[in-house]
Amino acid sequence: MPYLTDMSSPLSFQRGRSAAVGFSSLAAALVISGCSSDTAESTAPPSVVAVDPAVIDTAVADYRVYVDEQIATMRSETDAFAAAIADGDLEQAQALYPVSRRPWERIEPIAGIIPGFDAAVDVREDDFDSPEDPGFTGWHRIEYHLWVDGDLAAAAPYAEQLASDLADLDAASDELAIEPQVLTVGAQELIEEVAAPSGKLSGEEDRYSGTDLYDFKANVEGSEALVDLLDPALQVADPDLAATLEVQFADLDAQLRELGSFREGFVVYAQVTDAQRSALAATLGELAESLSLLNGTLGLA
Amino acid sequence: MVGHDVGERLRVRRRGLAGLAGLAGLGVAAAPVLAACSTETIAAGAAPLAFRGAHQGVLTVSAPAGLVGAFDVRVETRDELARLLADLSTTVEGLMGDVPVRERGGGFPAADTGILGPDHGPTGTGVVLGLGASLFDDRFGLSDRRPPGLQPMPRFSNDRLVTPERSNGDLSLTISASSSEAVVHATRQILRATRGRLVPRWVQSGTNQVSPGVRSTPLTGRNLLGFKDGTVNPDPAATASMDEVVWVGAGDGHPEWAVGGTYQAVRVIRMLVEFWDRTRLSEQEAIFHRHRDTGAPLGAADEFDAVDFPDAAALDSHIGRINPRTADSPEHVMLRRGFNYANGLDDNDQLDEGLLFVSYQRDLEIGFLGTQRRLDGEALEEYVAPQGGGLFFVPPGPGAHGSLARGLFD
Repeated sequence: MPYLTDMSSPLSFQRGRSAAVGFSSLAAALVISGCSSDTAESTAPPSVVAVDPAVIDTAVADYRVYVDEQIATMRSETDAFAAAIADGDLEQAQALYPVSRRPWERIEPIAGIIPGFDAAVDVREDDFDSPEDPGFTGWHRIEYHLWVDGDLAAAAPYAEQLASDLADLDAASDELAIEPQVLTVGAQELIEEVAAPSGKLSGEEDRYSGTDLYDFKANVEGSEALVDLLDPALQVADPDLAATLEVQFADLDAQLRELGSFREGFVVYAQVTDAQRSALAATLGELAESLSLLNGTLGLA
Repeated sequence: MVGHDVGERLRVRRRGLAGLAGLAGLGVAAAPVLAACSTETIAAGAAPLAFRGAHQGVLTVSAPAGLVGAFDVRVETRDELARLLADLSTTVEGLMGDVPVRERGGGFPAADTGILGPDHGPTGTGVVLGLGASLFDDRFGLSDRRPPGLQPMPRFSNDRLVTPERSNGDLSLTISASSSEAVVHATRQILRATRGRLVPRWVQSGTNQVSPGVRSTPLTGRNLLGFKDGTVNPDPAATASMDEVVWVGAGDGHPEWAVGGTYQAVRVIRMLVEFWDRTRLSEQEAIFHRHRDTGAPLGAADEFDAVDFPDAAALDSHIGRINPRTADSPEHVMLRRGFNYANGLDDNDQLDEGLLFVSYQRDLEIGFLGTQRRLDGEALEEYVAPQGGGLFFVPPGPGAHGSLARGLFD
């Protein structure tokens, strides 16, 4: 497997090419020339290449491992986050808030297909009349107390509930059937999540703490992980698209690197300039267009 | 850089799938793209694409709907810029020819927005590409190719609300069509095909009252101040006039690639319509020196009657400043192709309406710039507030085989 479980470092998932599936084991890749045109300016239609379903199945199985790994990391980091709150350690709690959210943001496609949890753990103030509404729970409720009123005692029960909800999510995920489309569409949706008007790019997500870039980076990592898992199939179906995605992720990662890293910390989101946001938006848009081709390119419905 | 142009269009022709039967024996799943290929046919000899020609389609009669967008390019090399413009050109040609987009099956996003429905009829879509002065900076090594009259939009006396965010840009795209939906469709198809490489800087959409008329120019439309606008617009069917007013000629001191092009001036001019609607009609008519309802010059009966300026106040009116009708005043200095716009409300709950001014001219100094300088300080300024815009050079048409702005790289 190209990745190792390392609870202390959620970044252990490395970009890599699984050697388990070689080209020779695939069904013959066959290019069928479709409709063509006799005009000089027309472009040849894309080839359609059959991808061995077994290669997709391997990616799905590997993603299952990745998800389990992220959920385990999420639980341990959230437990540490809750413990800091219970200890009354505001500084430590603030430091662990964006850290504990990273695995969640990496596997949001999964979180989205297990009903109920998103509304419990990642809901925002906008869905309530007041941030003091008892129904406003999860990370952002805690974020509100940590950054707005500094009331750790008020945050503590929500932290306990968050840890408990994530334990339930962990259990529910065991029953989860992952369809291949979760991977292809999920890779795109993680980027859409960043680019949406209410997403990370607008600074709406972590409005009290300004830690949006941690979520942003984690979303991108989750998408990159999916593309890596699908890469053996994509190398068969459309190596140009694979190469394009590599370049576009590298472009995005380079821009994010200018703003910080998990190791050194990211700048508060308000410090991201309009020019940087515009550049990020352009790259995200370009990347999302490419990712939107994954599903069809791999022959999925 | 991107090898996957979602919006790229192909001319689809019926074609036998010779050889497929032989492939079937290999046990390969039928490729979904094949189904799409045999369903739509563009008859040979379909209406010629207005896209192809010596000039871009700026003469097209005023369209019911349109949009001007300015974009910055986000590519790094001259080759990438050429590739971007070639992709843009392909997309534009497909849109102007109403060429159906090849779909690739439900596992892909639809390649067409679907807004116009399947098998839609002609949309009358026109797209004009303009190049901003900033494209000729040091990024792409094109500084020696800059058309000599091209410059950033200068500041005029009433430009207090003009901001950099709503001004200039590396490129302009002016899209017009027979419906607002067709404009939206074209805009989205273009943005998809160029995502990340063309970054929108500002956009303004608009509409026109288009009434059928016997002239090659439709009957004069009205602006949102209620006055006829464009009464003296030249007739685009008059070739000699267009060569005089619109097209850059071989003797105009331009680089060879630019001959056959034209300069585009765009201004987004907000109109303070609540205030205007409370203004005495006599005051409004004096500001323009025209009767509102007929469009006739003050003291005359018909829109096209000769204009008389009996006193200094009349000469100081909007039309007097634009063209004092002295012996040495040229009859035409530009071709107008603008739109009215209504954007809803501003932050103070006042109507955000105005004129999306678009003009094409062979010489910016004689055309837009000189005219606008004469308007500096006019009485109408109290009722209008320009918001932005830009100056662009519209390259010549792609000819029979080329692509838009290709001459820039030859």
